[in-house]
Formats: sequence, C-alpha cells, structure tokens
Amino acid sequence: MTAYDLALAKARKDIAALEAISQRDSRDCEKRVRLAYRLFHQASLTSDEIEFRKVRQAIDDVIRDFGPKEDICLLRANIDGRFHRLGEVKRDLEMCPALARRREGRSITADVDFQEGRYDEARRALESLIDESRTWDALARLAHWKGKMGEREEADRLYAEAEDELTAKELLSFAWLELQRGVLAISRGRYGKARTHYHRAAASFSGHWLAGEHIAKLLAAEGKFDEALALMREVIARTPRPESKQALGELLASVGRAEEAKPWLDAAEAAYLASAREGGVHYFHHLADLYADTGRPAEAVEWARKDVALRPNFSTQAALAWALFQNGEMAEGVEWIRRALSSGVQDGGIFATAASLLHAAGDAAEGDRYARAAAEINPGGSGFHLHH
Amino acid sequence: MADHNDPNAVNSIFSDIDYSAADLYDLFGFPTHDGRNALLALTFASTPKAGELDSDMLYRLLVTSQPRVAFPHAEDVSLESVLGYFDAVKDKYLGELKPCEIRVVPQPGQRAAVKFIGFPCGDFSTVVDLNTVTPIQTPDGQTVQAFIGGRDDAFFNDLTGFFRSINYAPQFYHVPHTMTEARELPIPKTLIELEGNDLFNFRPDFPTWGFFQEDRTTPKLDLPPGPWEWKGNNFKKDANGDYRFVYDGSDCRAGQNCNAIILELPHSFITPDPSANRLINAWGESWVLRAAHKVESIPDDASWSGDPWKTVREKELDDELRKYKLVDTDGQPFADAGLSEREDDRQLGANNFSLGPAFIRRLAHLGWGFGPSISALGLQTSFDHDNSPVSIHRTYDTAIAAFPRAKKTIFQQLNMPDDSWNPKGLNIPLRRPIEIFVPNVCAIDMDTTGTWPFGRRLEDQVATRFLSVFLDMSAELNGKKYHLDMLSDPALWASVPILPKTPPNPLKNDKEFLPNFPYLAEPWPESW
Repeated sequence: MTAYDLALAKARKDIAALEAISQRDSRDCEKRVRLAYRLFHQASLTSDEIEFRKVRQAIDDVIRDFGPKEDICLLRANIDGRFHRLGEVKRDLEMCPALARRREGRSITADVDFQEGRYDEARRALESLIDESRTWDALARLAHWKGKMGEREEADRLYAEAEDELTAKELLSFAWLELQRGVLAISRGRYGKARTHYHRAAASFSGHWLAGEHIAKLLAAEGKFDEALALMREVIARTPRPESKQALGELLASVGRAEEAKPWLDAAEAAYLASAREGGVHYFHHLADLYADTGRPAEAVEWARKDVALRPNFSTQAALAWALFQNGEMAEGVEWIRRALSSGVQDGGIFATAASLLHAAGDAAEGDRYARAAAEINPGGSGFHLHH
Repeated sequence: MADHNDPNAVNSIFSDIDYSAADLYDLFGFPTHDGRNALLALTFASTPKAGELDSDMLYRLLVTSQPRVAFPHAEDVSLESVLGYFDAVKDKYLGELKPCEIRVVPQPGQRAAVKFIGFPCGDFSTVVDLNTVTPIQTPDGQTVQAFIGGRDDAFFNDLTGFFRSINYAPQFYHVPHTMTEARELPIPKTLIELEGNDLFNFRPDFPTWGFFQEDRTTPKLDLPPGPWEWKGNNFKKDANGDYRFVYDGSDCRAGQNCNAIILELPHSFITPDPSANRLINAWGESWVLRAAHKVESIPDDASWSGDPWKTVREKELDDELRKYKLVDTDGQPFADAGLSEREDDRQLGANNFSLGPAFIRRLAHLGWGFGPSISALGLQTSFDHDNSPVSIHRTYDTAIAAFPRAKKTIFQQLNMPDDSWNPKGLNIPLRRPIEIFVPNVCAIDMDTTGTWPFGRRLEDQVATRFLSVFLDMSAELNGKKYHLDMLSDPALWASVPILPKTPPNPLKNDKEFLPNFPYLAEPWPESW
C-alpha cells in the first residue's frame, strides 16, 4: 500500500470509530470536534468536494449544538479560506474573537490579507509570527509571499527551513512543501530542480495524486507530452478532479488533439459551473482560464470579474486583464495588468501577460521591458504552461 | 504523569493530537547487586503497541558518574545562592561534563540497534530482539543486561486527582488546543475542595468525569464560557465537618502498558572509578526522525533557523542525531507536568538550569494552593502563606518576588521515613528540592537503595512524595519528624477530617514487579 492509501485507510477507520462514539453520545463535544477534523483530513487527501461538504456540515452541526468553539471555528476558517470564501473566513474569526488574536487566527488573517491584496500587512503579520516562533506553516506562508514578490532564493530557503521543522510523522506536509519548492523552480524554468523536488514529494508521501499531477505538468513543460498525458490520465483515474480534467484537456489541445480534449474540458466546465450554481466561488478563476483559452472570452471576463471582486490580488487582476485582452477590451485590460503589476509581484507569467497586453496596446517599449523581465525570471518561459 | 502526556506537542489529551511514541513517561534508576550495578528503565507510550517500537523513533539514555558532593549553599538560604547554584550547574553541564550514551534505534523484524557511546571501554553496538532479555558483552569483559519492549506501565497514580488539584482543564473539559489560557484555569490550586468550586469539585452524578476509560476515552464536559473564577472564601465541608479530598487514590494507569528500555549496567562500565564516583546521573530523550530523512534518497540538507540555542545544540549532534528532532526529555518525575507546565520549548534534559527561576515562580504559585490546604488539615507546611485560611490563586512575574515565600520549600532537606534508604549508614546528606529538580536528572546514589530522591525505585510513590515537598520537614507528628512518605500513611488520613480517607495515590502498582531483571511486570493483553 502507498502512504496515501494508508493515510486514507487510517482516516476512514478513525472516522468510523468516532462516528460510532458520536452516535452513542452526541453531547460529547470533543469527539464531535475530533470527528470533524478527521473528516477534514480525509477530504484534504481526496480533494473530493462532496467530502468537504460533509466536513462543513459536521462543523455547522457542532456549532449549532455547542456554540462557536475555537477549534471548530478554526477548522471552518481553514475550509472557507481553501474555498476562497474570504468573507466567511472573517465571519468565522469574528464568531470567536479570541481565536483571531491567537497565532492560528493571525495566520489565517494574513492569508486573507494576501488574497485581498494587502501584501504588506500580510508580510508584517507573518514576520511577526515567525519572530515569535519559527513554525513550519508560518515559514511556508512567508516563503510563498517572498516567492511571489521576487525573493525566490529566500523563499526556497524558508521552505527548506519549514521542511526541517517537520518529522517523519508529518510527511504529507513535507511532500506539500516539496511541491511548492518545485513550483518555485518551474517558475524560473529550472526543470531539473523542479523534478528533484517533485520526485522527493512523490517518494516521501507515495501514491498522492497531487505529486502525480505536478510531475505531469512538468513533463508537459519539458515537451514530454506522451508521458505527461499518460500520467495525467492515471491521476484522473484515481482522483477525478475537474482541475485535473481541465489540465488534461489543455494538454491535449496544446498538441493539436482538440477533439480528444473537448470532453475533458467539457467535464471540467460542467463541474465548475455546477459548483458555482451551488454557491461555490473557488472555481471562478478556473472558469476564467478555461474560457479565455477556449475562445469564449466574454464569459472569461464575466468570471474573472467575479473573482477579482472577491479576491482583489495580482493573480485575479492579471487573469481579468488576460480575459479582457482576449475579448478585445484592450484599454481596460491594460488598466488591470498595471494594477496587478503595482503590487510589486515578480512573476514570469504575469510579466509575459503584461508584455502581450502592452504590445497589443501599442506600448512597445514597456512591452519589451516586461518581456525581458519575464525571460529573466524564466528563460524557458515560452514552453507549455498550465494556468493553475 | 509523572510525565505522561507531555510536552504539549505529544499531549494526546487534545483532540487534534495523536498518541505518540515520543511521549516519555518515566525514568527509573536504582542500584542493584549491592550497588555494583545500576538499573535504568525509560518508559514511554506503547505506540503502535506494547512490544512493538515505532520505526521513526530514536531513544537516548544519557549517563554520567561523579562523586557525591554536599549541596554547596546549605547555610546560605538566599536567592543569590540559588542563582549561583543554577550557574554552577550550567557551567558543569555545558562545560566539562560529557555524558555516556546508550542509543536505541528500532530496526525491522522486531529488533533494535543498541549503541553504547562514550563509555570508558570505547564505543560499540549490537542488535537485540525486542521483548527478550539479552545479555550484552562489553569490550572490557563485562555484561550489560538489556530488555527493550512491552511492559506494564510501572506508574501508579491518581492522575485525575492531581489534575483536579491544579485545575488542569483538558482532563475535565473539551479545551481547544489553541486556548492556552484555559489549560490551568486561574482559580486556586488546592488539595481539598473549595466551597462552590463548580469547575472542578467532584460530581456524584458523574463519577467517571475526568477518569480515563478502558476504551481510551475520558468523559469530559463542555468548557463553560469564562471568566473562570472562584469567588468563595473557604474550603468545602460536609455536614460532619469533613473536607473533600481532590484525590481518591485511584490508579489511573491500572491495566495499561508502556514500552520500555531497561538496562542493567555495571557501575564500573560507566566509570573507571566507581568507588569515588558514587553518583550516577541519568536522563532520557525521545527523538523523531525528521521528514527530510525518512526517504533515504533525500540528501541531508537541513537548513538553519535564527535560533541561537538550536545552533548550539545542533553543533553538538552527530550525523545520526541530526536526522532526528528532540521531542521529549525525562529525568525527574514532575519536572514537566508539575513544574515546566509541559511547554514544548522546555525539553532541555539535564540542561534545565535556565528554567531555575521559572521553577521558583512555579513552586510559589503551587505553594499558595497546596500550602493552605495542608494547614487546613492541621499539618505544617513549608510554604509561607501568611496563615491564609484558604488556597489562593497567585502568580509571580519574578523569582525575586516568589523566593521569600518558597525558600523553605526549595531549600529544606527532605526527611526519609526511616533509615532503610541508607543501608550502609554513611554520612549522606538528605536532598533538597532545589538539587532534585535542577539539573533534571535521575540522580542515583549508589550507596543508597536508590529510593526517590536518591534515584527512583519502581515501588516509590513519587506522586505523593512530590506533594510532601510542601510539608514542613522540621515539624513533627506523633513524635516523629515529617517525612516523604507521611502522606502515604493511611493512619494519617484516618485521623484528619477529610473524605475519602485515603492516601492521595495508590500505595503500590496494580501488578507485582518482578524480583529480577527486567523488574517491570509483563504487559497486559491489549484489547484496543
């Protein structure tokens, strides 16, 4: 059995035991909270939206029965953050004011600040947390910040330090950190280094679809399309996430197999729209990407606008700029990309988008400058690239 | 407890923390074979199960041997002398002292590698089968007895009573891990119940409250919203005028197992001059493999943080140890649960001199709780509580402020119940709390029986002896000086106005110890 299978089996066993206890005594708050945490762990492993809904239900039941306890509000805030419900995150923390002042609450607030474009506030909060205690999660958050803002060596060092805080009992977290280091390397076109990190991730937590998906994207970026396609199909067979289906569709389209790509893209689109119909907001950026790349720019603009309204940051702003560009709305597109750039972000992909927009808008000099900046960050940036 | 379930990183009392093989329970140490050998037994959580070790762990037993030296500041009861003592300990443990080490690393196939490092006869190692007594031949022709595996947990203690006495809420309430201020609730600590203390007083309608059950659950209540306070002004008494004891003498570890590393070492193997070096100091450590080293293909590229203490420690580590992370240490019982408040960053092993001032503050805090309780029972306390008629919740920011109250508790010599601890009748000074808890080692006097605090024997009721630190050892009861086992005397409890009439903790283990190596009893069948 792989580490992933073992972890999932253990989570399911724990859940069964806790459900039995909770059914015997539904007033046992601690067991109910423990159950919600285990359900969350299981859902995090599978990334199954239905399982996440069960977690959310379990959380809401606990809050209904016992009130807004800190640990359950913390879990709720984590899930809401994961699903881009930033307003809900704030409400979760408000339900439990003491939590917002604690380390865990401050970390989540820093995430929200970053997502809403308050970059300096986020950095200051993270640095303060690290001054107090160099925990792996705070280090990883600051690493992400530094990586986006151009301090990539420092970001990698912080990720490495975060890894050093983890023990063999936390290999899922270790694998995740390795993937982040790989993503950081890919953003600079360092495929060999990325491969090393991705394979470490796969070795440290074997059988996890997330590592497989990252490796498939790397293979695609390296032009090894057949291997990438085979691996992506394998990932989807195990974990049929819509994001993976979109990636496979885009990959097939990029090698001229549009007919084969279509059902995958359609399936992804259907899942995204279904989620949005049920009130989900976390697929807005996927819809924007999907439509921008499949010749439906007006729809891309629509979803990108919704996303930027929820999360006004350089990433959503650049996505909206790209969608507007595709839709021929050049002036507004330039406005949005300038807004994204004003954040101080140092990202090859965003610089490349800026170069395209500025060239198209007739500003060749500035467009060239951003094209050079993109190439400086990632000299191999013209290869296959997946947006997510 | 003694140091079960700490530090907090492995404190499975919280809902999001699993049982961990890094959770060290106890370190026992006493002379055997007329003082020629020393028995060391490090016990820890039996995860994955009794008799099976977690392959990600590494355990260390560190040992030194040195001459017995009388406490250097016996006549100078002052904060300066205390701080001077801490400094001397620091110089010793960060200076010339180089402990010998027994390192145990689990191996596949129910085996363990046992490495002897730094002993006078040189380094050597072997591999032993688990759950088997194995004689190990040393390079200098001696024999070390080894047993590594599952045993009955040799600790017998009213864990729930202790937690009730210090208002440790996670034992009784669902306390989120984040709520650090709700661990020990800010009301007076006490040995006898407080009138109107609805937070912790025994509930006849819920007798299992806070007691660990066989299905590994502990019935708890929902933590009431704060502020958590007690507004009373007296101890609770029933219609007959009896106080209610927070302890009931239950053995909360009855029927439960541990894993253990048990070694019987010739003293002459530890030191070339055992006749001069009559003390053996020992402590244990648990280390967990770092994630980066779980997969062999991952190169060792551990990075650095800005933590200077970490830097110092890491420089001292060898290549193998750098692959692991220190989680728990164990020397003296109660050093963690009673004095260090289970803080993760206080796992310093013998080198706990930096915690000295915090110990003074903590002892004074405990004293304001336990001292008035002792007085109420008509006994004399070592803590100066200004004749307070009831326990008081008081904390201190500085050791200077705390010291005048706690100085007798810290400095007094702890009387032994009789002379049996000193079978040779030697001039061995009685020990004082200050030298017991700093450094945090099990200090075995090889001329004694090794009963606590001259070591720690399996049959020692150390929980009750720890409470006795708060008795005034210069006082007398029925013509006999107060002593460490006085609170374990059923006759005492029969004579004071309290219910239940029981010593605070059980007088013996739930399973008979063995007369010979490995001494700890066979494990219980595990049903979970």
